[in-house]
Amino acid sequence: MCVDISYTIMNCRSEVLEVSVEGRQVDEAMLAVLHTILLHRSTGKFHYKKEGTYSIGTVGTQDVDCDFIDFTFVRVSSDELDRVIRKAVAEFKDALGNSGSDGMGQISLEFYQKKKSRWPFSDECIPWEVWSIKVNVVNLANEQERQICREKVGEKLGEKVINIVEVINRHDYLPKMPTQSEVDNVFDTSLKDVQPYLYKITYQITDSLGTSVSTTMRRLIKDTLAL
Amino acid sequence: MAHFDTEYQRLEASYSDSPPGEENLLVHVPEGSKSPWHHIENLDLFFQRVYNLHQKNGFTCMLLGEIFELVQLVFVVAFTVFLANCVDYDILFANKFVNHTDSSKVTLPDAFLPVDVCSARIRDNVFVIFILIISGVFWLHRLVKFIYNICCYWEIRSFYINALKMSMTDLPYFTWQEVQARIIEIQKEHQICIHKKELTELDIYHRILRFKNYMVAMVNKSLLPVRFRLPLLGDTVFYTRGLKYNFELIFFWGPGSLFENEWSLKPEYKRGGNRLELADRLSSRILWIGIANLLLCPVILIWQILYAFFSYTEVIKREPGSLGARCWSLYGRFYLRHFNELDHELMSRLSKGYKASSKYMNCFMSPLLTVVAKNVAFFAGSILAVLIALTIYDEDVLAVEHVLSSITLLGICITVCRSFIPDKHMVFCPEQLLKVILAHIHYMPDHWQGNAHRYETRDEFAQLFQYKAVFILEELLSPVITPFILIFCLRRKSLEIIDFFRNFTVDVVGVGDTCSFAQMDVRQHGHPAWMSAGKTEASIYQQAEDGKTELSLMHFAITNPHWQPPRESTHFISLLKEKVHREAAAGQQGIIAENPAFTSTHSLQSDSEPRSLIANLLMGPPSLASLHLGREGSINPVSIGVSEGASALRSLSPVSTSQHLRGSYPSARLPRPDHPAVVAGRAMTGSGTDARTISSGSSAWEGQLSSMVLSEYASTEMSIHALYMHEMHNQQSRGEVSRHTWHRQESDESSESVNEDMEAARTFPRSSTFPTTSHQAGAAQQSGSQRHYGRTSDPVSGSFRAQRTPRMPMGGWSEENQMSRHHDPVPEEGSEDELPPHIHKVT
Repeated sequence: MCVDISYTIMNCRSEVLEVSVEGRQVDEAMLAVLHTILLHRSTGKFHYKKEGTYSIGTVGTQDVDCDFIDFTFVRVSSDELDRVIRKAVAEFKDALGNSGSDGMGQISLEFYQKKKSRWPFSDECIPWEVWSIKVNVVNLANEQERQICREKVGEKLGEKVINIVEVINRHDYLPKMPTQSEVDNVFDTSLKDVQPYLYKITYQITDSLGTSVSTTMRRLIKDTLAL
Repeated sequence: MAHFDTEYQRLEASYSDSPPGEENLLVHVPEGSKSPWHHIENLDLFFQRVYNLHQKNGFTCMLLGEIFELVQLVFVVAFTVFLANCVDYDILFANKFVNHTDSSKVTLPDAFLPVDVCSARIRDNVFVIFILIISGVFWLHRLVKFIYNICCYWEIRSFYINALKMSMTDLPYFTWQEVQARIIEIQKEHQICIHKKELTELDIYHRILRFKNYMVAMVNKSLLPVRFRLPLLGDTVFYTRGLKYNFELIFFWGPGSLFENEWSLKPEYKRGGNRLELADRLSSRILWIGIANLLLCPVILIWQILYAFFSYTEVIKREPGSLGARCWSLYGRFYLRHFNELDHELMSRLSKGYKASSKYMNCFMSPLLTVVAKNVAFFAGSILAVLIALTIYDEDVLAVEHVLSSITLLGICITVCRSFIPDKHMVFCPEQLLKVILAHIHYMPDHWQGNAHRYETRDEFAQLFQYKAVFILEELLSPVITPFILIFCLRRKSLEIIDFFRNFTVDVVGVGDTCSFAQMDVRQHGHPAWMSAGKTEASIYQQAEDGKTELSLMHFAITNPHWQPPRESTHFISLLKEKVHREAAAGQQGIIAENPAFTSTHSLQSDSEPRSLIANLLMGPPSLASLHLGREGSINPVSIGVSEGASALRSLSPVSTSQHLRGSYPSARLPRPDHPAVVAGRAMTGSGTDARTISSGSSAWEGQLSSMVLSEYASTEMSIHALYMHEMHNQQSRGEVSRHTWHRQESDESSESVNEDMEAARTFPRSSTFPTTSHQAGAAQQSGSQRHYGRTSDPVSGSFRAQRTPRMPMGGWSEENQMSRHHDPVPEEGSEDELPPHIHKVT
């Protein structure tokens, strides 16, 4: 059981990015950011050998041009991964559209690792890095503003990408490379052409501070036990 | 075109589209997560458990202890129910006769009711059923918790064994500092905490003591309603475990508490905007919890009574004097606790001070009571003697009704009386005793100095060091009183509490939200009257009382010599140590300044003696053993071997020892730099850190022995520093007062005026009239001093009346800008480039 983590997590890096975009730019902007992060958090498939060593397969990259933003980003050339991300982003966009609120939302990409526990407990998912992207949707009046916005968002996204790369370049904690039996605890091995770290995409519409019901319940139970 | 036969062939498509053979060229070896200890999710809990397991001496001891606790619970409930329902007391008291055929003797089983009668009685009694259900639920809860805990602690056990390489059998013989050092060591390898490469001692302490530090700070700033002015009893302190539990429930972990989880305050409480609304919410929560307490009161009360009955009757029967014995009150423990001081450190400190403290309290035997007690003891003793004599002559006397019980009662009576009769050989020297106590407990309100012989001082000290009987009584009363304190006293403080948490919470990278006092930053929370004048930028609202920041800093630096304090703190520590050093040099030359009272004791002992003493101490194991022995009574090794009779003399000696230690070490240092005495001398007073690392490397110190010895010296060193700081503080306050009266016009600098006024206020209770304000010990003093500011007509104090406003709830938040400015840099968490760029703004 992995619970949605929307509160601050201990012992976990957390990075926050903020973007303001127009309604139609939401999915492309999100895709750009998520794909950029995942590009750096994916490896080729591992091929384990008998002596406990492994070799890493190759990963292709491909450029993606955005339609509504003057921006091109690089993503891992894995259609499967792209499909998963697109699905999550589309859900987020729908939710954002349906919420009817002032168009604030947050999508988080969380990297975690699994820890096997003994019988009475379920496996723990322990996040080690969380990227939260806060989205602010703006409404624009005329085409000229849209044109300006198009360029501006492109520039801002470029900065974000540099930020992301800076963060990733630091020598911070990364899960150690696993042995064959443990590879599922660290990497998502379900895709056949690429192997990202285990990740999870969650979203939240409007900054409604309250933690979700399930987390609260879980915490209550834990608290009672740990009295 | 003809068909060419070429060497070039189409490659088979494969997902691993690496050229064939590359697998052999580029081969990786997985590091594997061989240890399951990297990246632990909840480090707070983890470190707490590691600490608990260490304190409970390993897994088996803990397991057994917990099992027995569960069994005890069942036993208490079952036995009570049995006694209430299944015993025929008429038979037991022989009011009713049993008709036995074979013998006339009444046996115990005769008094038991038959099972069916018994169960029928229980079934009919609604009250008993109610209690059984309640305790059943409670027990089940405990059982689940027990099983959960065992599973968790099993993991910690394997952490000890596999990661720390300490077996469970050896665990009791490792000190916590060693365990901690190993944790810090393995962080480099396993990365328990992913935020930083290396853990510091302070990080671990912060996590274990996160909430305790808040509580200590709140007691220090007298935020918690634990002091009351009662019509008959006067000033009292009421702080029980039940009350503490409720406070913690409200602030830290209960549903809807201020904390979101173990390590972070809810974001809305960090913002000042809606403080009034939050205070309202908090006060309504307190109301509800108070009401819940009120409803549960009968249950808790019954539980408390039963529990107290079963746990204390046996003790009272065995040694009736134990009720007359004293213990450190719960309030005292919070008042005396340093920031970042673990339980065992506090307890060992207080235990060392126990003897001197009870001696001090015994100085105040009421002469009236003594006369009465002497005579009561005489009469009771004579009757008892006759009864015993008769019994010896013929034991049938025992069979006479109430003879046995009167013997028991008279015995108890005599024991109680004896505790009121002072020791014939005791000397009344409270001032010096209080110095000895101070050396151990490290905190003391200023107005006690010089007033040790007064009853008021004794009464105030009794708040920290209460009778065990009073402690038990308070615990028993707690369920009834707690709800009222919550509803009527704590609720009124809700706005202050909200402000407190907002103003005094800092987010430390890799640790989470901690109490800013616990950072022990002299600049932020130092008190100008405690040697941090000029360094501190704190307003009165931010200053920790009683020099807690300074003393805590010293204490932490001394107990954790490897800890690298932030720059300013290092400066403070080295400055203080240097001062102690200078003092020592001065003392060596015969200029004994500080306190005239010391002079006589100092001159009692020859100058050359302590020098050799220290050298001896560190030379060989025999003297180490003697040092160990000396720990129980006082810190002075000289007095070891001195008979009990010379206790008064011994109580004097720690003070003089501290003088001697200071005095002796420079001279020891000069002649032979390589001599162990030099090392010792430096470890005692000089730059402790390097001295100890050097010494631990040297051949004279080996393994565990050295760490034990060092921890012993750490406490001695701390005692010396505590005494010194108090002495400086008093001297300063005395000096400042005189300056205040002489050069009032010249003191234009506002910080100085703060200083002086504080001092004036602090010494205020010293006047011979001994005004009523002096009844409020320690923390409450601040309010007294503020009253003083209010009255003062000194034009200089205008600047600082503005500073005083933070004390008001509203002011707490008007100051927020300043607070945030102070809290932004978190010095010991490494340089700024390690901080992740949290927020990137687009627009």
